[in-house]
Amino acid sequence: MATGIPPTHWVNPNPPAPSQKPPATTVGGIGWLRAHLFSTAANSVLTLATLWVLYWIGERLARWLAGAFWEPIWANRKLFATGIYPSEQLGQPAVVLLLVCALFGLSAGRWGSIMRTVGIGLAALLLLLALIPLGGMAQAVMAAGLALLLGGYWLGARGWVASRWLVAGWVLSGPLTFVLLLGGVELPLLGASPAVDSSLWGGLMLTMLLAVVGIALSFPVGVLLALGRRSKLPVIRYFSIGYIELIRGVPLITLLFMGMTMLPLFLPGGWGNPSQLVRAMTAITFFSAAYLAENVRGGLQAIPKGQYEAADALGLSGLDSLRFIILPQALVKVIPAIVGQFIGLFKDTSLVSLVGLLELVAVAKAVIQQPEWLGVAGGVAKEVYVFVGLIFFLFSYGMSFASRRLESKLGFGKR
Amino acid sequence: MARSIFPNPKPPFYRDTRTIAVLVQLVFLVGVLLAGWFLYNNMTTRLAAANTTTGGALSWNFLSQTAGFGISEGPAFQPEESYGRAYWVGVVNTLRVGLTGVLLATVVGLLAGVARVSNNWLLRQLAGVYVDLFRSTPLLVQLLFWYVGVIAALPNIQDAAELGNLGYLTNRGMYLSWPQLTATGLAWNGWLLGGGGVAVVVAWLQRRRLRRSGRLGSGLLAGVVAGGIVAAAGYAVVAANATLPTATTYELRRGDRGTLFEDRNGNGTLEPAIDQTLAHVPITLYGAQDEVVAHGSTEQDGTFRFADLPAEAVRLTWSTPPPLVLSEPQRQGFNFRGGVSLTPEFAALLLALFVYTGAFIAEIVRAGISAVGKGQWEASRALGLSTGATLQMIVLPQALRVIIPPLTSQYLNLVKNSSLAIAVGYPDLFNVSRTIVNQTGAEVQGIVLVMATYLTFSLVTSLFMNWYNRRVALVER
Repeated sequence: MATGIPPTHWVNPNPPAPSQKPPATTVGGIGWLRAHLFSTAANSVLTLATLWVLYWIGERLARWLAGAFWEPIWANRKLFATGIYPSEQLGQPAVVLLLVCALFGLSAGRWGSIMRTVGIGLAALLLLLALIPLGGMAQAVMAAGLALLLGGYWLGARGWVASRWLVAGWVLSGPLTFVLLLGGVELPLLGASPAVDSSLWGGLMLTMLLAVVGIALSFPVGVLLALGRRSKLPVIRYFSIGYIELIRGVPLITLLFMGMTMLPLFLPGGWGNPSQLVRAMTAITFFSAAYLAENVRGGLQAIPKGQYEAADALGLSGLDSLRFIILPQALVKVIPAIVGQFIGLFKDTSLVSLVGLLELVAVAKAVIQQPEWLGVAGGVAKEVYVFVGLIFFLFSYGMSFASRRLESKLGFGKR
Repeated sequence: MARSIFPNPKPPFYRDTRTIAVLVQLVFLVGVLLAGWFLYNNMTTRLAAANTTTGGALSWNFLSQTAGFGISEGPAFQPEESYGRAYWVGVVNTLRVGLTGVLLATVVGLLAGVARVSNNWLLRQLAGVYVDLFRSTPLLVQLLFWYVGVIAALPNIQDAAELGNLGYLTNRGMYLSWPQLTATGLAWNGWLLGGGGVAVVVAWLQRRRLRRSGRLGSGLLAGVVAGGIVAAAGYAVVAANATLPTATTYELRRGDRGTLFEDRNGNGTLEPAIDQTLAHVPITLYGAQDEVVAHGSTEQDGTFRFADLPAEAVRLTWSTPPPLVLSEPQRQGFNFRGGVSLTPEFAALLLALFVYTGAFIAEIVRAGISAVGKGQWEASRALGLSTGATLQMIVLPQALRVIIPPLTSQYLNLVKNSSLAIAVGYPDLFNVSRTIVNQTGAEVQGIVLVMATYLTFSLVTSLFMNWYNRRVALVER
């Protein structure tokens, strides 16, 4: 700066005292311990009591882990994955897995957000499974899935696919999954394959399928019910309220038994009997729709009235204002709630084991009963249920973690 | 009248929103009714074709028919009784596990929720692991784990694990020491009732006194103390004065077992409908040479039974028991007598329900406490209130408003989830209804009955919690 005025050098008349190290008891490991565990006498007692509880649990856990017998799980890994699906036709579920991986990768790249978080978890899982010597083609399929996931992400992130094509892909993947799993038709790459009855589907595959189908099919019904509940027309409003409260008031298991035994009764005589899988899916969809409606209603209520009024002022019809103004905002707001519901549904699918479908818990029961493990001291129930619990935990906790990240990104709870 | 400048002031009726609204609702209603009629029609046709239902397609007559199956626990039930009564036993069993579960889940959830916001890092982490672990796994897996993995792996009755004086753990159930009213305890019942009344009145008076002097507090403590004094005084009076009925007599069979009862009609034999059995009475058994064979006491149902007596007993004497005794389980052969017993099914279901729901309640409590702003704590500190007073008067009243509504739905979830009893064979209402349906083929009626029952539970709980919520809700202008 060429101002011509010489810089003044200001001198602090009271120079600060030479800095000293903080007392050893407030920093570092000891300081942290003091602040977080032993700040007061009561706190110290609490810490010691907690330590005792931890020791009590940890000692038992370590002793059990040391003697745990994991052979039944390793020997039945195929059963846990796909149930009693014919071994020579496992290519069909593999193609479904690859399809989902590719779509997931593309979506994660295109849309990011929760898709990316879940995608990272999925990639880690696929990598782990590709490294474990599962045998057969399983490892190759997992590796291919990982490659498709990453490749899809790369493509998606570069914007090579339009959102609308992705949505179309997801929508088409539903029926395609059923065609692939059911077989019995001439397929382009796999050739002709014998039909696989849906009663042979099982394991984690069935658990996933039920949860995804439950949410996907219940989505349109749930949105309609939510709109119905907020409708000004009393007949439609009371019908929606009645349906939602009736379904939410009874346990899922009653609906499942109802679906199993009463659904065939409701159909005309000539229609025959739907398969067990279809009955369970119907019951789950009816159940899930009521809960989804309540979640969507929460989103609708969070839209300020001004948005409705602005849409009216623009001369949009009721349907157009819903489609372009209200629903896009409301649905984004309820994504975390819907993820939460999906987690709940994923856990609830375990109930279909009580009506004769071979999902994870039913497989676990079957494995425990296998004659090979009858001689094992203490039985193998603990190991098998811990393993199944771990699978559920992995997916549920992973999704709730992703959902929490999304929530903090959307800024919920920080208003 | 001025003419409107618009050529046609009224739109045609088919563009009038009011007409459209009515028409849309009419069409919707007709659609729903048609669909309902279609489904109902199919159902009756199929039912008639299958002809499985006893007493006509949709009759409720089966409720009064003989059940013919036993129910392993809950209120006493004989196979000769009706299906309706069997269902009632199921309802009582659901309430048993549901109410106990709600109580325990609240305690566990409250503790874990407070631990989640504690200053203590270690405790916070431990509570966090508990919440994450149990919220993220299905209840059914947890239930089966407890039932098959843990309880079935407990020692059998012969080498039961002792819990000190508290009772025993076995793979056939839990046997716990429990205070029980004796034959003279009936006289104490009146005192207990009176004590309860005194407690309510004193609590109300104390509360009014506090309010009039402008203080907070509920008067609960004063009420409990007053009621306790009455009950204790009653206990002393009864223990000193009560005697067993003069008509007390006994039946002795096979020299080692029998029943002690009040022979109300004086005919010397036990008639369960008329005579009153005497619980927890100390007795002494004598042999043929008048020597003492054994000491002991009768059970809750007035019976007694001894094993391995040195000689056959021919008569017995009794003495007056205190109103209340601690009944301890005692091993007899392949079972325990005395105390209270929980079946493995009940124990597993209860454990699974309260541990699972407790994790959800913990999150609700944590959210409720976090919802009270830090400024509230600080302001209360600045006013000079102690931590306890801050919690009682500032934080909890505000947190409760956030906690109550989701807590209600957790309570309801717990009761609904108790239907998983069918996975372990606990005879709750749903399990019993399946047995009834399997025997009678009354599929539709069974489902309707179960749904109506659960909806009633929901309604009653909602009404109660809404009432409570209104009490704690913010009073706005």
